[in-house]
Amino acid sequence: MNSSMLLWAVFLPIIAGALCFAIPDRIKWLREGFTAVVTLATLVIAVLIFLSPEMRFQTAELGFAPVKFLDFYSYHFSSFLIMFVSLFGFLISLYSMKYMEGRGRLREYYPYILLTVGAANGALLSDNFLPFLGFWGIILVALFLFTTIGSRDASPERIFDAANKNMMILGGADLALIMGVGFLWYLSGSLTLSEVSIPLHGAMAISAFVLIMIGAIAKAGAMPMHSWIPHMAEASPASVMAFLPASLDKLLGIYLLSRIVLDFFELNLSMSLLLMIIGAVTIIAAVMMAMIQHDLRKLLSFHAVSQVGYMVLGIGTGTPIGIAGAIFHMLNHAIYKSCLFLTAGSVERRAGTMDLAKLGGLGRMMPFTMVAFFIAALSISGVPPLNGFVSKWMVYQGIIEAGAAQYWIFLVVAMFGSALTLASFIKVGHSVFLGDKPREIGVVKEAEHSMRFPMVVLAVLCVVFGIFAQLPLVYFIGPVVGISFPAFPAAISWTGIWSPTSGTILLLVALAIGGLIYLAGRIRVARTAPLYIGGETTGEGTTDSLSHAPGRLTGLRDTRVLGTEFYDTIRNMEGLKRAYDKGEAAAFDIYSYGKHVFPISEVLKLLHNGRLANYVSWCLWGLIILFIVMASIG
Amino acid sequence: MFAHGAMDFFYFIIFHGFAFTVVAGLLSTWVDRKVSARIQWRVGPPWYQPFADVIKLMGKESIIPEGANRVSFLIAPFLGFTAVILVSTIVWMANIFPGASFVGDLIVVIYLLYLPAIALIVAGSASRNPFGALGASREMNLMLAYEAALLFAVFTVVVKNGGIISLGGILGYQAVHGAMLLQGASCIIAFVVTLLCMPAKLGIVPFDIAEAETELIAGPYTEYSGVTLAIFKLTKAMLLFTLPIFMLTLFAKTVWTPWTILWYALILVFIILVKNVNPRFRIDQALRLFWLPVLGLSLLGIILAAVGL
Repeated sequence: MNSSMLLWAVFLPIIAGALCFAIPDRIKWLREGFTAVVTLATLVIAVLIFLSPEMRFQTAELGFAPVKFLDFYSYHFSSFLIMFVSLFGFLISLYSMKYMEGRGRLREYYPYILLTVGAANGALLSDNFLPFLGFWGIILVALFLFTTIGSRDASPERIFDAANKNMMILGGADLALIMGVGFLWYLSGSLTLSEVSIPLHGAMAISAFVLIMIGAIAKAGAMPMHSWIPHMAEASPASVMAFLPASLDKLLGIYLLSRIVLDFFELNLSMSLLLMIIGAVTIIAAVMMAMIQHDLRKLLSFHAVSQVGYMVLGIGTGTPIGIAGAIFHMLNHAIYKSCLFLTAGSVERRAGTMDLAKLGGLGRMMPFTMVAFFIAALSISGVPPLNGFVSKWMVYQGIIEAGAAQYWIFLVVAMFGSALTLASFIKVGHSVFLGDKPREIGVVKEAEHSMRFPMVVLAVLCVVFGIFAQLPLVYFIGPVVGISFPAFPAAISWTGIWSPTSGTILLLVALAIGGLIYLAGRIRVARTAPLYIGGETTGEGTTDSLSHAPGRLTGLRDTRVLGTEFYDTIRNMEGLKRAYDKGEAAAFDIYSYGKHVFPISEVLKLLHNGRLANYVSWCLWGLIILFIVMASIG
Repeated sequence: MFAHGAMDFFYFIIFHGFAFTVVAGLLSTWVDRKVSARIQWRVGPPWYQPFADVIKLMGKESIIPEGANRVSFLIAPFLGFTAVILVSTIVWMANIFPGASFVGDLIVVIYLLYLPAIALIVAGSASRNPFGALGASREMNLMLAYEAALLFAVFTVVVKNGGIISLGGILGYQAVHGAMLLQGASCIIAFVVTLLCMPAKLGIVPFDIAEAETELIAGPYTEYSGVTLAIFKLTKAMLLFTLPIFMLTLFAKTVWTPWTILWYALILVFIILVKNVNPRFRIDQALRLFWLPVLGLSLLGIILAAVGL
């Protein structure tokens, strides 16, 4: 194994992406197959990197002067992350084959997937801030381009708005990140990630911390930099949502945030408190918004914001177990949230809509999708013994170990947030898979195999990382925070840290008892009968089997209870109603303030006259400045 | 678990987790029915009536409504039942061998106690019956209503004892310092809050909003019959026993003394009396009740605990 493998993990997908542009539209199987094969190859490379010891690749050794900053370094943190980045790239390209079928701009879609995988690997492996920022920027550009592809049901204006908002919020955050890195460079005198480590004293260090933190939490989507995710969800295909905001952006944002806390700075009390408050507010506010959503994608996207709260909260505790919990939660979130978006995509493909009021009763016809959905939904709600429970539990443990008695507020907020998460997934479960089928939806089929496979893989990962949580903890996360978690078989014991495996054995025995009671009863003679609705026969039923029944009460034709009305009681409660009205009017959206706060943008708008020559000249000026800077460093 | 041998573990889950809890729970429902009957000037059923009911239900055929989601419909009763067995196993193990309790089992118990409510919601939702769906919606709203107050009340104990978060640890603390309930005003407030939340968690009048016989027939239970209904009945009965025992573990030192029976009887009588003298709340009233006065009370409790009272 030599360290040039690191280059392959980064540049193989990027170069393949460039080649993929050249594949003509007519042979689309080649383009799709090529993307899947390349991402799979990247996954194999990433696994090899993960299995080898720490590796360092320095361009300076090559004697190739212009790119002497392009240093790569793989260690336990970055190498397990690139493995998952590549895995998500592979699963999404597989899923997109059928899901994106017949949509426009596919010629760009697949290259963007490859480009994003390469850039994300690059950002995770970079050991120098300059290439790191470069790759970070490429991911943003890819996100912008992905958003412009747009979903079928969104108008072009809406798609443009969403893409614009991504660029504004994340671009602004990236600017903050660049400034923060500049400060950090000034203070430490080094641009090498693995060398920087400074105490958090003085205004400059604190500004650097806050600026880099803004860059990280905007990428991950914590409040107040969250509003791009729900907006994007309304106008993007589910596969894009599953790929970027749900998984890759979380991995990158939380990776950077953990690096700040673990390596670059030594966390102090006030910054720790700041992070914990951001985390707690994000958890509660976002999940309250999620509960009242009517669009499946938008609902999921608010959860993608809410769950970041747990990660930020865990990192904010500053305790090893809390940070380990946050990193584990990041991984788990990427798994279950992309699984949820993929199930939403399958529902959209088969039923033609993601409006919760127009769906229902699909579980019988889409059993795989339903089971994957429920496993992921129980995971995100933190129900034992699934993976979400283990990582949330570790975050709670971190809060308790952080010491101060006043931190109970964070603990209760985090736990209540789980209950609210559960509530909103109950609503989705009822509206989409259980409940009653609306007449507009005919007989639908289960999703195709290539769409089923990614969902099933992710759902199985949810279960495995829950029941055998020691596996990721020992091999992925333990080394990052310097905790040696008890491995098997010592992990199977009652005492000590919550042992997921013994908890599961307990669960199985309890299930067996329930099963015996079931068998003792006369369950095998179960028969089916029409619904009992106050003794009245329902009229024209909503499923086909019932449509022959003679109706006595025509008023009872539609007996569907809409899941979207589940929480109207909460929505309309005094006090909360005003907050909700404001939330829907985007009063908590940093973007809507940005428009008014920066009148300077009116001046800058004049520069954007749409003439290519002007833009090229701006690029030229930028390059000249970059060269001067690089020359002065060198 | 194997620290005490695999056999111990099976003994616990079969005996304490299941058999003992079922018997005690069914007897408690008998007490409920008998006392209610006496209050209403009736004779009431003999002691074995709840057992006879369950056995009879198990012999009846199960009916699945047309067009229901069969798998979810049949799995739902299981889910809640399993969770209650686990909760009572964990609580009894902590009481009998405090050393066997694991860090954070309190959090596990709180999470597992969500599951009976979820089981009910899935049941109502999967049955395709509109009454079931309405009941499911109400149950979820109710759970959100009381959960915040209940969490604050439980964590008052944790704040008060200085951050011990395992049941065994809390029992150990109480063995040295005396029952949690006697530790100050904060714990008394927290205990009162748990007493207020208990009828809601158990789905008993005045918070039987999800079942509401007079409005929703039987809510999520409407379409259930035979062994599936029997399992729901068992779950409810076991919860009626397990939930007070869990609270006594937190607040009243240990449940392994004769006093326990008295304590438990007092809580049961309180629940029965509240049930018999109150009409049912509407869901919006319950939400307002729990999110304003009760939540305020529990916040007061935990703030008092944080300042050391």
